[in-house]
Amino acid sequence: MRLRKQALQANLTGYLFILPQMAIFLLFLVYPIVEGIRLSLYQINYQNERFVGLDNYASLFSDPVFFKALLNTVVFVVCIVLLTVGFALFAASAVFDKNAKYVSFIRGSYYIPVMVSMVVMSMVWSFLLNPASGLISYLAREAGAGQVNVLGGGKTVMPVIIFVTFATNVGQTIILYIAAMIGVPKDLFEAAEVDGASRWQTIRHILIPSVQPSTVYISIINIIAVLKIFVVIQLLTGGGPNNGSVTLMYYLYNNAFKFNQLGTASAVGVIMFLITLLLSVPQLRSMLRQT
Amino acid sequence: MKRKRILAAAAALTVLLAGCSNGNNPNTSAESGGDASGGKEQVEIKVWLTPQWKGVLDASEEGADYDSFFKRAAEKFAAQYDKYDAKLNVEVIAGDQRDQLLNVNLSGGTPPDVFFESVFAMGDYVHRGALVPLTDIVDDAAKQDIADNYWSSVTFGDDIYFYPFQNNPGTLVYNADMFRAAGLENDIGGENEIKTWTLADYERILMTLKEKLPGTPYAGAYPMALYAVNNQGDTWNLAYLRMFGSTFFDAEGNIALDDANGAKAAAWLKSIKDAGYTNPGPESVSSNDANGMFQNQQLAISFTNPVLYANAKADMASGKAPKFDARLANIPSESGDPLTFTYVVGASVFQTKDEKRIEVAKDFVKFFSTDPELVKSSKNGIPVRSSVAEAFKGENPLFAAYDANAKYLFNFTGNVPGYSQLREVLYPELQALYTGAKTPEQAVKDYQAAGNKVIETNKANSVIFGGK
Repeated sequence: MRLRKQALQANLTGYLFILPQMAIFLLFLVYPIVEGIRLSLYQINYQNERFVGLDNYASLFSDPVFFKALLNTVVFVVCIVLLTVGFALFAASAVFDKNAKYVSFIRGSYYIPVMVSMVVMSMVWSFLLNPASGLISYLAREAGAGQVNVLGGGKTVMPVIIFVTFATNVGQTIILYIAAMIGVPKDLFEAAEVDGASRWQTIRHILIPSVQPSTVYISIINIIAVLKIFVVIQLLTGGGPNNGSVTLMYYLYNNAFKFNQLGTASAVGVIMFLITLLLSVPQLRSMLRQT
Repeated sequence: MKRKRILAAAAALTVLLAGCSNGNNPNTSAESGGDASGGKEQVEIKVWLTPQWKGVLDASEEGADYDSFFKRAAEKFAAQYDKYDAKLNVEVIAGDQRDQLLNVNLSGGTPPDVFFESVFAMGDYVHRGALVPLTDIVDDAAKQDIADNYWSSVTFGDDIYFYPFQNNPGTLVYNADMFRAAGLENDIGGENEIKTWTLADYERILMTLKEKLPGTPYAGAYPMALYAVNNQGDTWNLAYLRMFGSTFFDAEGNIALDDANGAKAAAWLKSIKDAGYTNPGPESVSSNDANGMFQNQQLAISFTNPVLYANAKADMASGKAPKFDARLANIPSESGDPLTFTYVVGASVFQTKDEKRIEVAKDFVKFFSTDPELVKSSKNGIPVRSSVAEAFKGENPLFAAYDANAKYLFNFTGNVPGYSQLREVLYPELQALYTGAKTPEQAVKDYQAAGNKVIETNKANSVIFGGK
């Protein structure tokens, strides 16, 4: 007992220093999660709230739009993450060992869209793709391609959103990969050169395995980011046509702020939290292994 | 040493927490009980509005903006108000963000005190118990000056929840210059007329515009506006769905569009889109896009209401938009009787649970809705007050045309609970219709099913229907 008290006194300074951070963590991260889980079990009106058990989840699972949103979100995550990681690996491995000024130029070029707000990017794309007054639609008409409405086509709307999101975000990943690749020991490349390895073999057997921790990190971060994809949907398609591009985040937003179904929206939030948690397990594991 | 470290840490923590606590000082805006000024207690309220008209009296004033009227009304109110030292903060919010902003602020316990908006968009907040009744601030003089149909549209159950200020009847607007260019001189109505075409006439007009509108100066122009990317401007879409005689709602207040008339209307919309009589891609075009296209003479026929029409004319006069001859027309129907609807616009007061703020908010609503000088601004729409309409009928001859149209008015909301949510299930079905993902029959059937589910759920939660 006395020993424990002594240990507590010895560590008191440390505890005091982490107290503000812990308070903020508990207040702004843990509390909203707990409150979200609680709200998902209630039907909430302006004046009162009523415990309804799992009714909100039941109504979700009986709504075809929810499953459409779930499927669309999965498609977005898989396509955008694969495209981003694949293209970033390609671009970074092509330039990381070139002249420093050239590398800076490439990094800057790809990073510019990341610096521009997603709202602005979406508005620019909306201007370009508007079927009635957009520039691309106009050029297509002038070129004799007829009416083009890629945002209104059930088969074209998803690829367009995937491309817009990918083009806006890939710069960040390229920067991370270039930094990781520059850090790979030079002697490995020299040894490969002595052994007569080709450029492809060097990338395949040295570079990609060497940046694997970065790949895991980038994949997880991108998966989490794409799971929350919202702005581009809201501004470019509004979830249309006919819910063809609705995502879980957009579905949550609609329920919370348009339909005023806070309980249902919280249930969607809980499901998204669980999905994110599951996808974060590999990263957490690798972090724990390192420690 | 250790004692010193602990003391230093405690001091740092105290400073940090003090900083946080200073930063978290409650914002006193929109709070009552502030500093006394001039012997009166200060009460601060938030006044929100969606864009209605620019200027105090009209858009021709220098620096005219959407908040000009309410800033002037707030000044005038505060100057004569003797109960409290009232401070009114006026804020214009975008129409398409109204529900998001209100829901977030209601959930956070910070709703505005006064909201000035079309009543149709605010009915849900009455059903949810978020608004306070205004019955006690309506006197006999107001009841005599404002016709009964306006009072009935703002009455829920036994109480009045909105103070009617003006109304905005929805019509079509057409570019008479484009009509002339296409050889449609005989179909052009008078400058102060709301032209009524038969459905057969209307179809012929669309076809003629499509075929005969010259490329110069109307390259890339389309006959008619059609849009369904979101809920904005959807009342015109609701009107189109009634063109073949659908009553839309049944006697119990449920949607009754899934019949031959409803399907025929949906099929008609799809057919004019497929024939190229409308702008392309209505599933991805918003009413804002359509309005912009009309002002840029890329559309010959679009949608409008008196405020939009006045703003468009003001933009033309000020050189912001190209000048052309814009005139009004009714939405045609198969029966020959035109279809028309109106947005009654007025103020409501939110239940902020602060008696003083509610009192000031109600006093302010009564003040600007009855002040003889301020009510003149209702001429920017169509005044609900007979006295104002009479005073300005010489200045705006269209007042008589709107009055003649009044007998064709239909109640597009059906006064159903959950109307805002109901709007969210219409445009996905229209998108499915326009993209060919659903047949007209399937689209109206699915809309009816989804819409009636919304109505049923909201009836159960309505304070007016005694659901909670």
